Amino acid sequence: MRFRSFRSFRGRLVVVFVGLFAVIQATSFLVVAAAVRASARNEISEELRLAGTLFVRQLESRSQQLVAATRLLTGDFALKTAAATADQATTRSVLENHRQRIEADVLMLVSPEGTVGADTRMPGRLGAPFALPRLLQDAEQTGEASRIVVMDGALYRLAIVPLLAPVPIAWVCAGFAIDDRTAADLRRLTGLHVSFFHRQGRDFAVHASTLDGPDRDELQRGLTAIRKAGVIDLRGEPHVIRVEPVGDEILVVLQRPLAEALKPYAGLFRTLLAVGAAGLLLALLGAIVVARRMSHPVQALVSAARNVAAGDFGAAVAVRRRDELGELGTTFNVMLAGLRDRERVRAELERAERLKRFFSPQLAELLSAGDESMLASHRREITVLFCDLRGFTAFAEKADPEEVMRLLRDYHGAVGALISRYEGTLERFTGDGLMVFFNDPVPCPDPAARAVGMAIAMRDAVQRLLDEWRRRGNALGFGTGIDMGYATVGRIGFEGRFDYAAIGTVTNLSARLCQEARDGQILVSQRVYAEVENLVEGIALDALTLRGFARPLIAFSVLRLRGGEPALTRQPRVKEETG
Amino acid sequence: MIRPALAALLTGLTLIAAGGFGEAQARSGPVEAVVTDEKGKPVEDAVVSLTSLGAPAPAPPPAKVIVDQIDKEFVPFVLPVYVGSSVSFPNRDNIRHHVYSFSSPKKFELPLYIGTPAAPIVFDKPGVVALGCNIHDWMLAYIYVLTTPSFVKTAADGKGRLEGLAAGAYEARVWHPRLRVDTEKTAKPLTLATGEPAQVAFVVSLKSEWRIPRRIDPYKGSPN
Repeated sequence: MRFRSFRSFRGRLVVVFVGLFAVIQATSFLVVAAAVRASARNEISEELRLAGTLFVRQLESRSQQLVAATRLLTGDFALKTAAATADQATTRSVLENHRQRIEADVLMLVSPEGTVGADTRMPGRLGAPFALPRLLQDAEQTGEASRIVVMDGALYRLAIVPLLAPVPIAWVCAGFAIDDRTAADLRRLTGLHVSFFHRQGRDFAVHASTLDGPDRDELQRGLTAIRKAGVIDLRGEPHVIRVEPVGDEILVVLQRPLAEALKPYAGLFRTLLAVGAAGLLLALLGAIVVARRMSHPVQALVSAARNVAAGDFGAAVAVRRRDELGELGTTFNVMLAGLRDRERVRAELERAERLKRFFSPQLAELLSAGDESMLASHRREITVLFCDLRGFTAFAEKADPEEVMRLLRDYHGAVGALISRYEGTLERFTGDGLMVFFNDPVPCPDPAARAVGMAIAMRDAVQRLLDEWRRRGNALGFGTGIDMGYATVGRIGFEGRFDYAAIGTVTNLSARLCQEARDGQILVSQRVYAEVENLVEGIALDALTLRGFARPLIAFSVLRLRGGEPALTRQPRVKEETG
Repeated sequence: MIRPALAALLTGLTLIAAGGFGEAQARSGPVEAVVTDEKGKPVEDAVVSLTSLGAPAPAPPPAKVIVDQIDKEFVPFVLPVYVGSSVSFPNRDNIRHHVYSFSSPKKFELPLYIGTPAAPIVFDKPGVVALGCNIHDWMLAYIYVLTTPSFVKTAADGKGRLEGLAAGAYEARVWHPRLRVDTEKTAKPLTLATGEPAQVAFVVSLKSEWRIPRRIDPYKGSPN
């Protein structure tokens, strides 16, 4: 597997897949976490609400018990007697005794007018106004009262009960201090942290608490923002808070750390994380597999396109898919086929152009079409034309090489155009000599007529050149020989250099006829003449005795065309049997 | 026809015994006292007293009055007496009572007793005496000790009737256990003409009742 970078298609696919999955996982985890947190918070809030209700009821119940105890105390006849008749010291002593009976922290006697008659804490307090006149008013309204109050800077639960003899002669006020010990007792009851605060305007003073110093201070500061319930951070730990009013500006604060309620969910979070991690791993693997499957055809396309860029049109991509990528592959292959065709055509054209320089256009075309079958040796009846310049060797010896080349260029230019025009196959150049044959490799219906027609045209063209050269003092002539007959035609040569050649008597004879021809003369064999008799005017020559030929040969000299040049007939190329 | 004649005879005898003055004093007609609260409802157990601004009314002979204890309640709830009267507290229940008072006109205590205590209690100072029972918190009664013999307690209709008073100028006062103001502040003049009936009406403001409620015994179904 190669992930050279995240910029690769495959890398991006994997990143996108896995990234999306991770985002979904993270989102769901966060949602669950938030829900769990909210649920835990609600759970604690509900618990605190219930605890708060219970707590208030508990406090009320204790108050009622206190009231009952105080009421019982006021029923004591000795107390009534003392309060009604005895001196203050005795009354205080009785009060002190009774305070111990009900284990109160303070017992006071208050006159109906609201002045202190006796106070177990402070003997000298006689006659001072009672600190909580509102409580007395309540007691007057309802007969008795109980309240949690701040008195002399400390928190008390006070009970006020009339001392009846049998009409009210005084109020007995019993107080139980609410301190850290009370809070600790309550914590044992509810399992919650309990704090008592006294609200003074916007400030809160803590009077009793199960918390230690720093937490108390933090809670005290945090309370200003909370009306009934909320969350306060104590030493960085969130605590859910519930505030219950229990008296005149007295608040009980119950609290529980959020972490305690979240503890049961720790397992759930671990499971969620494990499932998430496993899912992420699976997603990664899946993404890699999918990315590979996706990117494989893309990479195949890329490599095929690279090959195309390098000029190799051969390799089509394998198309196994039916999706867009498959379509792309198919299109690519179609494009490749198109490119291949075009390249083939281009190469063919190029080859044909190249071949045309060396071969006749017909041969070149055949060759460039890839049909090399006729290069194999075969027998065919052909018409062979030989021609050369008379006196060229002598001219070449005395003339400048540049002049020789110029002459040859002019000469070849003149005859070359005619060879093309008459669709002859130029077999070879030999300086001033040329050999051209007809009916191979491209068959034509009238090879002899063409050969003779071309010979006449060549003679006329070369004669015009020769006239010019003669004027320059170069005595040159031009002779032509033509014969027709069967020859073996095909490729000869060796690896690296082949020629397309015709071997046979017909070649030799036409060469001999060419040698025999004088300047301007076109000598043709009897067979040739028989073929073109109707087209040309010619005269029969005396029988020629030619070197290499046992019998003398009847030859004709063609003078001119009868009634102008005959139209050339182009024939469709017909494949000839090789023989 | 016989009762008025007898009453007149008794009055005459009393007058002779008291001083033997030659001529009989002029008497007013009956005086009706009416006490209502602010809403016009009749007030029971209010004591309306008339104090002569002229010659003080002659002291009546020492009377013996009683405050019963029946079914763990004092009867009557309010007892107006002339100063110096003796009050006995007979216990008609089959359990003991412990009658006491811490009121300044008369502090006394009758520790747990049954039947009628041997010596009655003499109320020799004017004022209000609240009576209680140490073992029954709800038991409450008032003895109102007056310096004038002319007083009447209103019945359930808020009315009382005084008769045989000497004509002349008086000051009328009203008292009630739950009276919001001091009795002295209720004083108002009243002139009684000879033979003429008169009416004295008070509209009083009462405090809410302050009594320990007597609870029903859940087992016996009757007051405990």
